[in-house]
Amino acid sequence: MKRAVMAVSCLLASAAFPALAQDKVFVGQLTDYTGPTAFVGKYYGPGVRDAVDFINASGGVAGTPIDMETVDYSYKIPDAIAHYKRWKGKGMATLQGWGTGDTEALIGFVADDKVPVLSASYSGHLTDPSGKNPNTKKPAPYNFFYGPSYTDACRAMVQWAAGDAKAKGIAKPKFIHTGDNHPYPNAPKEACGAFAKELGFEVLTPVVIPLKPGDFKAQCLTIKESGANYVFVGNLGGSVVSMVKSCGTVGLDVTYLANIWAGDEPTIEAAEAKNYIFPSASPFWDQDAPGMKLVRQIADKSGFAKNEKPTHHYIRGICSVYYMKEAMEWAKANGGINGENIKKGMYAKQDWVPKGLEGVCLPSTWTPTDHRGTMTVSINRGNFVDGKAKIEKIAETKLPREDRWLGQ
Amino acid sequence: MNWGLLIQLLVNGLIVGMLYGVVAMCFTLIYKSTQVVNFAQGEFLVLGAWICWFFIVKWQLPFVVAFAFALVFTTIYGILVQVVILRPLIGEPIISVIMVTIGLSIFMQALMNWIFGTSAARFPQVFGSEKITIAGLNVETAYLMSFVLSLVIMVVFFYFFRYSRYGLAMRATAYNQQIAQSLGISVKQVFAMAWAISALVSCVAGVVLGLVNAVSNSLAIIGIKVFPAVIVGGLDSIVGAVVGGVIIGLLENLAEFVDGQYLHIGNMYAVAPFYVLIIILMIRPYGLFGTENIERL
Amino acid sequence: MSSVPYPRPCGDFRTSYAADMTLFRTRGATIAAWAGAAILLAAPLVGSDYVLSQLILIGIYGIAALGLNVLVGFTGQISLGHGAFFGFGAFASAWLGTAYGVPPLLSIPIAGLMTTALGMIFGIPAARLKGLYLAIATLAAQFILEDFFARAQWFTGGSSGAPAERASLFGLPLDTDRSYFYLVLFWFVVSYVGVANLMRTRDGRALVAVRDHYLSAEVMGINLTRYRILSFGISSFFAGIGGALYAHYLGFVSAEAFTILLSVQFLAMIIIGGLGSVAGSVLGTAFILLLPQVMQAAASSLADVFPAMQQGVAYIKEMSIGAAIILFLIFEPEGLIHRWRLIRASFKLYPFSY
Repeated sequence: MKRAVMAVSCLLASAAFPALAQDKVFVGQLTDYTGPTAFVGKYYGPGVRDAVDFINASGGVAGTPIDMETVDYSYKIPDAIAHYKRWKGKGMATLQGWGTGDTEALIGFVADDKVPVLSASYSGHLTDPSGKNPNTKKPAPYNFFYGPSYTDACRAMVQWAAGDAKAKGIAKPKFIHTGDNHPYPNAPKEACGAFAKELGFEVLTPVVIPLKPGDFKAQCLTIKESGANYVFVGNLGGSVVSMVKSCGTVGLDVTYLANIWAGDEPTIEAAEAKNYIFPSASPFWDQDAPGMKLVRQIADKSGFAKNEKPTHHYIRGICSVYYMKEAMEWAKANGGINGENIKKGMYAKQDWVPKGLEGVCLPSTWTPTDHRGTMTVSINRGNFVDGKAKIEKIAETKLPREDRWLGQ
Repeated sequence: MNWGLLIQLLVNGLIVGMLYGVVAMCFTLIYKSTQVVNFAQGEFLVLGAWICWFFIVKWQLPFVVAFAFALVFTTIYGILVQVVILRPLIGEPIISVIMVTIGLSIFMQALMNWIFGTSAARFPQVFGSEKITIAGLNVETAYLMSFVLSLVIMVVFFYFFRYSRYGLAMRATAYNQQIAQSLGISVKQVFAMAWAISALVSCVAGVVLGLVNAVSNSLAIIGIKVFPAVIVGGLDSIVGAVVGGVIIGLLENLAEFVDGQYLHIGNMYAVAPFYVLIIILMIRPYGLFGTENIERL
Repeated sequence: MSSVPYPRPCGDFRTSYAADMTLFRTRGATIAAWAGAAILLAAPLVGSDYVLSQLILIGIYGIAALGLNVLVGFTGQISLGHGAFFGFGAFASAWLGTAYGVPPLLSIPIAGLMTTALGMIFGIPAARLKGLYLAIATLAAQFILEDFFARAQWFTGGSSGAPAERASLFGLPLDTDRSYFYLVLFWFVVSYVGVANLMRTRDGRALVAVRDHYLSAEVMGINLTRYRILSFGISSFFAGIGGALYAHYLGFVSAEAFTILLSVQFLAMIIIGGLGSVAGSVLGTAFILLLPQVMQAAASSLADVFPAMQQGVAYIKEMSIGAAIILFLIFEPEGLIHRWRLIRASFKLYPFSY
């Protein structure tokens, strides 16, 4: 009881001091370091954090520092909503979001409160701001993300797979979606299956594989029995490792098409994967590009690269922050840094690459009716060779901006 | 009717079920002597797996040595948990004991997350060949190890509980603590021993789990998944635990077959055991081999 | 349970049945209760947003914890499925709003009644089980309901969740924390008084009899099955009300929120607060809700001294819940309310300690 009183009075005291009079822009960051997506959260989150720290050290947004509060919400959606409300009360200008579950849940809230969200969720449901596509369930005018959407990446890989099947001589290739019954793996399920059907694939009944690791031989036997050739991996992290291992034991010979968060060196190494196809939207850490210099500077300043090699998720986090920063710069010059102006700032440039990140972030264009920044997907193949993961780029697909794919 | 797939799934169920049986044995070992259900059993398993992994990967010890060290470590840990946490709760109502083990599971999960990280870590190759073929189905060699070990454990415990002094002491304490104390049996020692043995067995199960799927903290969910097995077999029967585990393994795979071929709901694999659990609790709560508890006024 | 003397004035001057059965047994208690109510009524006018949101959450979870205390503390049943009933109430209220256009002020009690029905259905098999087996059965119920939430597209929106309407009172929107607080306060007071009153009715005494010695209770003519099912129903009603309030507070209900961890948290709230005590439920709720925040603040300030702790802050928060449960059960098994009663008695009976 005493502790509760003390805590409440401490909180009251701290809350009594309002936001500082100094000119700052307040940004909220949701991260997952301890929850089910921590496997990749621990790369993306520091990417965002380090980028903001670097920006502040180099003068901020045209002189205004970014005040970013980072919270690890462990993918607990109600916690995310509670933090959002608290930050809204503090005058948050933008939200650096994380998971599909909470980002999709907040679509309505951020639209009402006019707070742009740059999320780490690339769900197709976030791509239609105006409801131009009659099939869109809920227009998302204030949601942005850097990179191809999950559905577009799946479509690109399916397109590649169609060519691959023809080369291998498979007459009627079979496509199957695997993943947990959860917003994140579910995001591309329907639309990608529809696209695969269009390209001549036989789309099999999806198989549910839990997000928590376990023994999935039973599910793998079902997949094997169905004769699938191309298996879409909707989960990430430990679950994917379990699945690949179980299916390997069962003798399943398929090509895995993974979503962007399930494809990185730690996953391929842990799973000893072979013939593992996954998309990417930036170079990998070892590769070279003019913009990688800035990326390495950011990682060096924070010391992140000292203990482990950052994956490409780290780099996408940096891109997300730099797009936000340049949108804020535009907003500052055009009426002040607030949510509405930042949203307009996201529309300011075409084929936009942030300054200093050439060759790292794909040229992206956001418009008031189309929030798909880029339709270019780099497709890579990962193989576990000699105890290490070997990743090679096998294709770069640029999908057409079809209106019927908006919001799907 | 796809017989080939059904047979394969049932064989898979049988083999995975043996592992469930080993995990279920850990529950019954503790319950048999102390009337306590350890909700933190899953975390004990994962702890064993992590410790073995740590010895192999960080200290570069051979598998057998690392395994032995891990067994010793988890045994000591089990005794420690019993002495520090469970001993003050002797005599408290059952809900307090359940809550303490639940609290322990939360604490251990977070601690292991902190020490070992949240991602999955691969066990380096331990056996000559990673998989062997049984009845046309490929299974990981680790399951064969678990099968052999579980047989050994069952036989050892059969003789231990029936013929050795300490085993008899444990059974006596389970039946009636006060009478056992009055006969000179040290109840505290018996409890500590029960937890130590259970921790030992969970280490074995944990290492097998870690070999099959990479070691990660989410594996602890098996502690909850195995409840149906424990109840079906009977909470205080070792043989029942193994039989229950096999039944649940078969049931899961049968459910997956029915779901995959006919129903297409997608979740039967995970949820069917819990439906069966409720039905069993309604019809025959003491399970197949458990001792019936007759209430006297 | 050790008995702490209630500090009454010397002699026992109750001269009527009504005086014997009052909820507030001394004048001091009455004054304290009314003063507390007045402070809470004034809170939205002076408190910051953060404090208000914490109070609202304490109120919402407190209502559900009161329900669980009726089941566990007063009837002696164990339930590991309370989180699922809480979730059912949330989904029911959201669904009534979107499918039938029921305004939130009405849908909250209706959702409570729907959850009561569900609780009684689950109570039927549960009435035959005791102790550990009941705990495991409710655990299975929790998982089954969780799975149902993730599957039932028509009711819960499947895995993507369901939006819940904003509450409004005769057209006045209750969408800020300040205004929503009054709605929560209303239901909290109703629940608190309801549960406190339950204990002085015939049914409440029957429930306690079922807990203390069910065989004797049956001998005396108390229908065990009926009262056990009733107990499940009552606790589910409060869980449903709490869940519905939660749904309209967040404006969105997601199936992931109602996991086994939530059920464990409810149990922790009533055990840490004190089993079988109405005020204890609220104390325990406040403790469990505020503990992670206090631990986060403490760990962050410790991290300033030991930099290695920085990455462990999130883990320390989680560990603190587990550690709190274990430590309370070892050192103070009867909960915070017992400690409070000892303090109060020591004030009254100074210089004797109890």
